[in-house]
Amino acid sequence: MNAPATSSSPARSERETILAVEDLGIELVRGAERRAILDGVSFAVPERGLIGIIGESGSGKTVLGRALTGWVPEPLRQTRGSVAVAGRKLSQLTNEELRQLRGRTVGYIGSDPGTSFDPTLPIGVQIAQKLRAVVPHTGWAAAKKRVLDLLDQVRIPSAARRFDEYPYQFSGGMLQRAAIVDALVAQPKILICDNITQPLDVTIAAQIVRLLRGLERDLATAIVFFTSSVPVAKELIDDLIILDKGRIIERGPKDRVIARPAEAHTRRLIDSSPRIWGKDVDVPRNTTAAALPSDVLLSVEDVVKTYRVPDRTRFSGTLEVKAVRGVTLDIRAGENVGLVGESGCGKSTLSRLLSWIETPDRGHIRFQGKDMAGLRGKELLAMRRKFQLLLQDPYNCLPPHLSVAKTIRTSLDIHGVKRAEARERARAVMHEVGLKDDDAERLPIGMSAGQRQRVNIARALVLEPTLLILDETLSSLDPAEQSRLIDLFERLQAKHGLTYLVISHDLALVRKVCSRVAVMYLGKIVENAGNARIFDNPGNPYTRALLSAVPVLDKGPFNPAECLVDGEPPSPINVPKGCSFATRCPKAADLCRSSEPLFSTSEQNRNGVACHFPYH
Amino acid sequence: MGFVLRFLLRRLAQGVVIMLIVSMAIFTILRWDDSKKDTPARLILGPMATQDAIDRKTEELGFNDPIPTQYLAYIIKVFEGDLGTSYIRAESGMSLGATQDDIQTQRASVLRLMLGALPMTLQLAAVALLIAMLIAVPIGVAAGLNQGHWPDRLAVYLSSVFVSLPNFWLGIVLAFLLTAQLGWLPSIGYRGFTYTILPATVIAIEMAPLFIRSLSVSIAAAVRQNFIALAHVRGIPSHTIFLRNVLRNIAVPNLNLFGVQIGALVGGVLIVEYIFDYPGFGLLTVQAVSQRDYPVIQGISIISSAIFVIANILVDLVSAKIDPRVEL
Amino acid sequence: MTDMTASALTPPRASTRGLSPAARLWRETWGQREFRFGLILILTLIAASILVPLVTGIDPAKMQIKDKYLPPVFLPGGTWAHILGTDHLGRDLFVRSLIGLQYALGISFTTVILMFLFGSMVGLVSGYFGKVVDALLMRLTDAQLSIPLIILAITLLTVSRPTVPLIIFVLAVSGWPVYARVARGVTLSERNKEYVRAAQILGASHWRIILTMIAPNILPPIAFVAVLDLARMMIFEAILGFMSIGVQPPTPTFGNIIADGRKYLINAWWIATMPGGFLLLALLSINLMGASLERARNKLFSGQI
Repeated sequence: MNAPATSSSPARSERETILAVEDLGIELVRGAERRAILDGVSFAVPERGLIGIIGESGSGKTVLGRALTGWVPEPLRQTRGSVAVAGRKLSQLTNEELRQLRGRTVGYIGSDPGTSFDPTLPIGVQIAQKLRAVVPHTGWAAAKKRVLDLLDQVRIPSAARRFDEYPYQFSGGMLQRAAIVDALVAQPKILICDNITQPLDVTIAAQIVRLLRGLERDLATAIVFFTSSVPVAKELIDDLIILDKGRIIERGPKDRVIARPAEAHTRRLIDSSPRIWGKDVDVPRNTTAAALPSDVLLSVEDVVKTYRVPDRTRFSGTLEVKAVRGVTLDIRAGENVGLVGESGCGKSTLSRLLSWIETPDRGHIRFQGKDMAGLRGKELLAMRRKFQLLLQDPYNCLPPHLSVAKTIRTSLDIHGVKRAEARERARAVMHEVGLKDDDAERLPIGMSAGQRQRVNIARALVLEPTLLILDETLSSLDPAEQSRLIDLFERLQAKHGLTYLVISHDLALVRKVCSRVAVMYLGKIVENAGNARIFDNPGNPYTRALLSAVPVLDKGPFNPAECLVDGEPPSPINVPKGCSFATRCPKAADLCRSSEPLFSTSEQNRNGVACHFPYH
Repeated sequence: MGFVLRFLLRRLAQGVVIMLIVSMAIFTILRWDDSKKDTPARLILGPMATQDAIDRKTEELGFNDPIPTQYLAYIIKVFEGDLGTSYIRAESGMSLGATQDDIQTQRASVLRLMLGALPMTLQLAAVALLIAMLIAVPIGVAAGLNQGHWPDRLAVYLSSVFVSLPNFWLGIVLAFLLTAQLGWLPSIGYRGFTYTILPATVIAIEMAPLFIRSLSVSIAAAVRQNFIALAHVRGIPSHTIFLRNVLRNIAVPNLNLFGVQIGALVGGVLIVEYIFDYPGFGLLTVQAVSQRDYPVIQGISIISSAIFVIANILVDLVSAKIDPRVEL
Repeated sequence: MTDMTASALTPPRASTRGLSPAARLWRETWGQREFRFGLILILTLIAASILVPLVTGIDPAKMQIKDKYLPPVFLPGGTWAHILGTDHLGRDLFVRSLIGLQYALGISFTTVILMFLFGSMVGLVSGYFGKVVDALLMRLTDAQLSIPLIILAITLLTVSRPTVPLIIFVLAVSGWPVYARVARGVTLSERNKEYVRAAQILGASHWRIILTMIAPNILPPIAFVAVLDLARMMIFEAILGFMSIGVQPPTPTFGNIIADGRKYLINAWWIATMPGGFLLLALLSINLMGASLERARNKLFSGQI
C-alpha cells in the first residue's frame, strides 16, 4: 500500500468508489423538537480521490465529517440515506465491525489538536496502541517502529524523544502532525480532515497543508477535506463541494467553482475570503490620512516583561521566560495599527501590558501623554475608560453566569453610572452592535461565537473609549462572520472616532483594516511600516515568510518555496544568540548568528526594520 | 528527580506546620479553663489526696506555667518521640483507681496505648473501605457511563438514602436486628474478625455516597472529553478506552477527594467504634476525653493529623505519577 | 472546544428563551418529582414541628408513667394519641421528635450559613490573591481538615458546657475547610479565565471581581454542598446529643432521645428507632431536594435548558 501513486495509477473514472454518501439526512431530535442538520447530502469519493467540502460554521460540516465515520452522537439522529465505506453501509454494521472499519479503513483528524489525545499518556504510546488495537498481531516493537517512521515522515523533530512525550509538551502544530500520524498509522483508504488548519498559525497551517500535499502523493489514500476557508481548499484539493445549511448547493472542479460560482452563497463565500494582493483588494481608506501627523495617543517605549517559572529539572531555581524584550511603538489618534506575529511571539503579553492589567518590568507606556505607572485610584479608573481591550476567546471572556444585559451593565456599574441610565445605554449599545432585545436575558452558553463577540464589543463600547485594542478578537470566527464584524468596526469608527490596535495573526485582516503594521517575533518588533510597504516590499525576511504562508485566492508576490520557513519559533526561555530569527531564516549569515540587529528607523522615526540584511 | 525531592521536603515541612497548629489548638483548649488546672493532679492522685498534695502535683506537672511555656515543653518532648503517659491508664490497659506517686511507672505510655489500638482501627477502616468500594464502584461507574438513564437515577436515589442514614442510629438498628434479634452477626465489643463486619458496613454506608457521586460525576465528565469520543472513532475497543483512558483520567480527582475525606473517614470510624464498643482509636478517644486524660487526647490528635498529612502526600505523588500535568 | 461544538449543535429550546437564568433553573428544578416530594415533606415536617405542640398542647417533657412504653399506632396496643408511641417515662415520642427537629434544623441551618460564609470567603481570598496569603490560609485549612470533627467537638464540648451557640460554633469550625477548598479550587481556575481579565481591563477593583464575578460562579457548586451539609450537620448535631455533649436534657433532641431509648431497646425498640426514622425522613427530603437542584444546575450550565 505504500507504493507511490504515480502515473501508472488508473484514471479517475476507472477507480473504485471508496466512500459513497447517499441522500444522507441527520436531524437533531430532543423531545418534541426536530431540526434538520443535514438534508439529503449525496457525494462519492473514488480511491485516492481528493474532495474539499467548504462550509461556514453552522453549515453542518462537522456533523457530516463525523457521520462519515459512523459517529452520530445524541441528540443527533440519522433519519435517512446512508454512508457507505468500501461498499459497506455504516448503519448496518455491528459495533465490532464498525470499530474495525474505523481504525483500518477510515482515518479521522479533528479540528482541535489540543483535546485529541489523552493528556495522561505519551503521544507515541497512544498511536502505537491504536495500531495494535486495529491491526491484530502487531508486535509492540513493530508498532513503535512504524510510528517512529511516520513521525519522521511528518517532520516531527527528534521523533524518538517525542514518542515518549506527553500532549502538553507538544505545540498545536506538532499535535496536529501527531494526529495525522495517528490517522495514517493503519494505512487507511480514506482520510477525513475536519477543519484541521483552523486553529493553527498561518506559518504552521501552511506547513501542514504542504505536508498533506506530500503525503497525498506518497500514500494511497483518499482525502475528504472539510474547511471554512476557500484558499486553503484551493491549495490542496481538485474538487470542491459547497455546503450550506445542511445541503450541498454547488460542486465542481475548483477552478470553475472559484472563477464562476453558480450560487449566490458560493460567491459570498469566495468574496469574503481573505485577499491581500490584487486589484480589487480594498486597503484602508485612511492610509493617506494617517500620513498627516496627528497626536500620539498611545506611546510604548522600550517595554520589557519577563516571567519566572520554576525549573522542574532542578532541585531549585527558576527559568526566565522573556515574553516581551523591549518594544517601542506609537499609535496616533485615528490610525489603525496592526500587530502581527505567530503564537508565542509575545503579542498577548504585550496586550496585557497595554491594557495595564500587568505592569512592565522596564519601560514606559503613556496614554495621551500620561505615564500609566503614575496613575492611581480614580485617575486610573477614569483613564481605563478610554482604552478597552477586546479579548481573543469569545467562549471564556464573558462571565458565564451573567445574562447579556447584565454583562453590559456591569461595565457602566464599575464606572459609577446610575442604574436607570445604564439600562438605557446598554439597550442602545446592544442595538448598535446588532444584538436583539430578546438576547438580553440569554446566557453566553447558548450563543454563537459571533454573537458573543458582539456582546464583548458592546461591553467595551458602552464606556465610550478612544482606543480599542482588538486582541485576536476576530480570529475564531469564520470569514463571513468576520467580515460582518469588520463592517461593524468600520461603522463604529466612523461614528465614534475610534482608534484601533489590531493584534492578530491574520494578515489578510490586518491588510484590510490597518494603515500601519508592526511585526513581532520572539518578544521584539522586527518590522514596523505602513500598510503598502509591509505587504508589497517588506524589509525583514520574517515578514516575507509570514506573507508567503497566508492562504489567499489571489497570487502573492512571494514565492512560498523561497520564503516559507520550516520548524517552529524557538522558546522564549532559550532566546537564540544574535538575531532571534536566524535559526529559521533562509538568508541567515554568520553575522546574524552572532550579533543582534538593531531596529533601524527612517521616515520621521516611524518606519523601521530589525535585520542585518533588510530588503535583501 | 530533583523536583520530587523538593516536593517531599516542602510537603513534610508543611505537614509539620499543620501538626503544630493542630496540637497547639487542642493543647490550648484543654487548658483554657484556668480554674480546672488541678483536674489532672486530682485524677492521678485520686479522691483521697490532700489539697496540699494536689497543689504540689499540679506544680510538678507544670500546670501553673503559662500555656505557651507548657506547650513548648510538651512539643519538645514530642519531637524527641515522647508523647507522655496517660493519667489514668495502666500498662495493662485497665484504668487505675486512686494511686500514689510511687507507682506512676506503671502508667501506660500514650504511644503504646495508641499502637495497641491502631491495628484494630486500621482493620476496621480497611474493611469499611473495601465494602464501600464494593458498593460504590459498580454503581458509580454504571451511573457515570449512563447519565440520564436508570443507573444514574438509581445512584442518585441510593446515595440520597445512604447519606440520610444517621450512622449512630443505623449502627443501633443493625446491632439490634442482626445481633440481638436474629443472631446472624456478632457485634458490640471485639472477640474475633466477625465483630468487624457490622461496624465496617455502617462506615461503608456513610462513605459510599461520596464515592458513588465522585465516580459518576468524574466518569461522566471524562467520557464527554473530545479524546474519548475520538478514541472510538480511531477504532479502539470500548473496554480498552474505559480501562486505559477513562480510568486514568478520573484517577486524579478521585484520589484528591479521598485525600480530603480521610479526616471524615477517621471521624466516622471513631463514632462507630464508640457505638459498637470496638476497642480502637475511637473508643480510646471517647474514654480519654470523658476521663480528662489530656496526654492521650493530644497524642490522638497529633496522630490523626499525621495520617491526614501522609495520606495527602501519597495522593499527590500518585497523582503526579498518573497525570504528568499535575504539578508537585 | 467540545463544549463549543456541543453548544453549537444543541441550542437552547425556544420555549425557554427570554426567561432569566434563575427562572429557568427554578423551572427545571420544580419539574422534578423528587424535588416536589422533598419540598412538600420537609415543609410538612416543619409546619408540624411548629403547629402540633401548639395545637395538641402536649408537653414534650411531661411524664405520664402510666402511659410508659406505649408502642406506635401501627402496632397492637398503640393509640392515635401517641402516634410514635411513648418512652420509658411516658413522654410522647412524636412531639419529642418534632421539638428535636426544630433544634436540629435551627442549629444545622445556622451552622451551614456560618461555615458557608466563612469558608467561601477564605477560599476566595486565598485563591484570588495567591502567594503568601494562600499559603497561610491553606495550611490553616489543612490543619482543620486533618483533625476529625468528632475529636475537636468532644474535646471542646466536654471541656466547656455544651450550649446551643457553642454547638453551632463547634460544628461550623469543623465544617468550613471543605468550603474553603472548593471555593479556592474554583477561584484558581476562574481567576485565570478571560472574563476576569476582561473585568480588570474594564477597571473593576479586586473586591468587585471577587464578589460580583467570581463569587457567583463558585457559589452554585458550593451551595449544593451546603444543601447536603444541612443534612450532614443535622446528623452531627444528633451524634453530639447521642454522646451527651449536645443540647442538654430536658430539651429533647434526636441524639438524646435515641441515646435514652437505646437502653430500652429490648423491651421497647421503638423508642430508639422511631425518632431515628423520623430524622431519616427529614434528611431524605433535604437530600432529594439538593440532588434535584444540582441536576437542574448542571443542565443550565451545560446549555441544555
